[in-house]
Amino acid sequence: MNSITSFFGWFLDPKRRGPLLIAPAIIILLLVNIVPLMWSLGLSFFKFRANQMKPPSFSWFYNYEKMLTKENIWESLQTTGIVVASSVFIQMILGFALAMLFAKKFPLRKIILMLVLTPMMLSYVAVGIFFKLFYEPEFGLLSQFIQIFTGEMYVLLATPAGALLGVIVADAWQWTPFVMLLSLAGLVSVPKYLYEAAEIDRISWWRQFTTITFPYVRSLLLLAVLFRTIETFKIFDLVYILTNGGPGTATETIAVLVYRMAFQYFRTSNSTALGYILIFIVIVLTSLYLYVIKKRESAEI
Amino acid sequence: MIKSLKNFLLVALASLMLVFGTTKIAVSKTIEIVMAAPDWPPTRFMQEYFNTNFQQSGDDEVKLTLDFIPWGDFYTNVAASLTSGEQKYSMLVSDSQWLGAFIEGGYFQKLNKYIDADPELGAIFDDMHQGYKEGYTTYPYKSTNYYGFPQFPDNYVNFYRTDIFCNPDENAAFRAKYGKKLPCTYADWEIIVWDDIFDINAFLTRKKGEMMAGKPLDDDIYGMAYQAGKGYDFSSMQINGFFWQYGGDIWDESNQPNAQAEGVVNSDVNVEAFEKYLDLLGTMHPSHKTGNMDIFGIQALYLEGKIASMVNWVGLGAPVVDPKLSKVHDVTGYARQPGTMQDDGTISRWANLGGQPFVLTTWMTDDEIDAAFKIIKWWLDFDTQIAAVKAGGQSCMKSIIYSDGYNALAPWNAAYVASMDWQKDVWHIPEFFELLTQQQEEFDKAITGQKSAKDALDSIAAFQQEVLEEADRIQ
Repeated sequence: MNSITSFFGWFLDPKRRGPLLIAPAIIILLLVNIVPLMWSLGLSFFKFRANQMKPPSFSWFYNYEKMLTKENIWESLQTTGIVVASSVFIQMILGFALAMLFAKKFPLRKIILMLVLTPMMLSYVAVGIFFKLFYEPEFGLLSQFIQIFTGEMYVLLATPAGALLGVIVADAWQWTPFVMLLSLAGLVSVPKYLYEAAEIDRISWWRQFTTITFPYVRSLLLLAVLFRTIETFKIFDLVYILTNGGPGTATETIAVLVYRMAFQYFRTSNSTALGYILIFIVIVLTSLYLYVIKKRESAEI
Repeated sequence: MIKSLKNFLLVALASLMLVFGTTKIAVSKTIEIVMAAPDWPPTRFMQEYFNTNFQQSGDDEVKLTLDFIPWGDFYTNVAASLTSGEQKYSMLVSDSQWLGAFIEGGYFQKLNKYIDADPELGAIFDDMHQGYKEGYTTYPYKSTNYYGFPQFPDNYVNFYRTDIFCNPDENAAFRAKYGKKLPCTYADWEIIVWDDIFDINAFLTRKKGEMMAGKPLDDDIYGMAYQAGKGYDFSSMQINGFFWQYGGDIWDESNQPNAQAEGVVNSDVNVEAFEKYLDLLGTMHPSHKTGNMDIFGIQALYLEGKIASMVNWVGLGAPVVDPKLSKVHDVTGYARQPGTMQDDGTISRWANLGGQPFVLTTWMTDDEIDAAFKIIKWWLDFDTQIAAVKAGGQSCMKSIIYSDGYNALAPWNAAYVASMDWQKDVWHIPEFFELLTQQQEEFDKAITGQKSAKDALDSIAAFQQEVLEEADRIQ
């Protein structure tokens, strides 16, 4: 009896309350996240297919070597790069422009702002289906509109360039409001007295923008670039629904390729190796951004 | 005395009720068979007909529950369920090409010992059409290892608009322009080859407002369409048929490890066949350029009256005759798909086998296996098969398809039965999906003009050679 009491006494000691309270979360994280992550890391060094009964055989870096020497993987990375660069660029430009617009007060601003924010609240699947119908050559709005001038059906997704454009536009449409929201947060935080002082000094609009506005929102814009680059790098649902990676493999992003490899071809260890290569790329990109931000901050000091 | 006798009788009665009641509970149980099935009319019919017509026999009650999954997600969902080890399904409707992948994974039950032990099952096997038996049940392909029973046999037929093809004015105009008859009857279509479709499609492609069969068109219309979709197998099935009709071939899995992919898949004759497929596609509805002219895409176009004819699976025929879904429900005729003229004057009509078997999983208990065989015997019974055919389904049991009156049960039956001896199947090996996906992507590149037929086939052949060598299927 005494030992039980002393155990509970030890267990409920205020020093241990903190660790005890977070222990369930840590255990769940380990079970559903860290263990599978380590398991998949281990699998990437074996030859293994989840749909076959052959036991895994150790193969050192064979899967990594194979993935890095496959032509279609480099093509897929190139496609992903084009989508990321174009879509994030459009989002930054339009998002910031919209934020500048909404930073000023005008009638129905709140209602219009709410409508502009709607796309980012939709699911990828809904956006994918919406744009698929929008681009549809038979009855889609885009084709119907172009048909007024040409008299011919317009099939945007028929060519590699058109399909890429279709994906980029859909992604930019959905996520421009996110960039706008972050930029707007930065813009409304600029102290009014700075603009008032600039007005008194008769400083031009452009000068005000480069010396007052932009420095205030720069860090938030870099954050937006970071978030959107990482997210767009993983783009899957939209591409899968809109083009299924086609025509041919013209819009097959790296995430679509990993999915095919893992769940359609059942090249389990190949896909885990490719997954880790992607994680490595994302970590490098993130570090690069953080390095740039740190360098700018230290330069300003 | 009377009171004690009454008490005695009451106790005896209660004891009897207890004994027989509990005995009944002990032997009578419900065995539920959960079957993964694609969501479409042939499987919907199976569930509904089972619920109303299955006669229970023996002590246990058999319950069949179909888990309907949309076609587009069917393979991925089934593969995820099987490989995750959740053991959700006792039975599955499986495309024939999945057999190898799931047999090698240890998920599908080998049936030979059950067939050998049960004369009724043996009789069912003997009654199956040979080509369909090989496609639906054997692994390795064409071996004597059996794994499935036919759930829904299928092949291509040509659905065509009789109000257009049989219109006297259109016929006269076609004859005046091309010097031949526009095919109208089943017999007319029997002599039609793919080369004839160029003229037919050129003749029937018309713009909104132009006249067609005596009426102004309220929308653009095109001639015949066949599948050219990027997804799943939605161009391979049609293109394989072109290869075989031209005398070419795909990699021959029944001749491992000697059969090669390079030199066969990209042979000159396959290139010629693929070029014909592409040339003809250029005369069809422009939606093929989007990768969406799949079996459902062309069905939608046909139901809307936007194409005059389609080559499609019989399994998609039921909506065509449904007035609620189809603008052409009462003006559709059925024929075999066109073929390719051979040097000896005969027409080759080889096509890729469609349809699906159902299979048993390896984790079923003995009771579940008994229940599953009751379901299989019920489904392949003469009366059930006839009911399924009347509802838009098909059969591949010889005693049924060659029985009197079979062709009258559904309007497409004559074309279906006449096509049965012209079916070959695609690979059944575990690597099929990888081969299929890469092939679909390369076909799509050729369809959308990014590659020539030869370049696409060269790429497919090289990829298949590499994958199959890696899997020790080619030496």
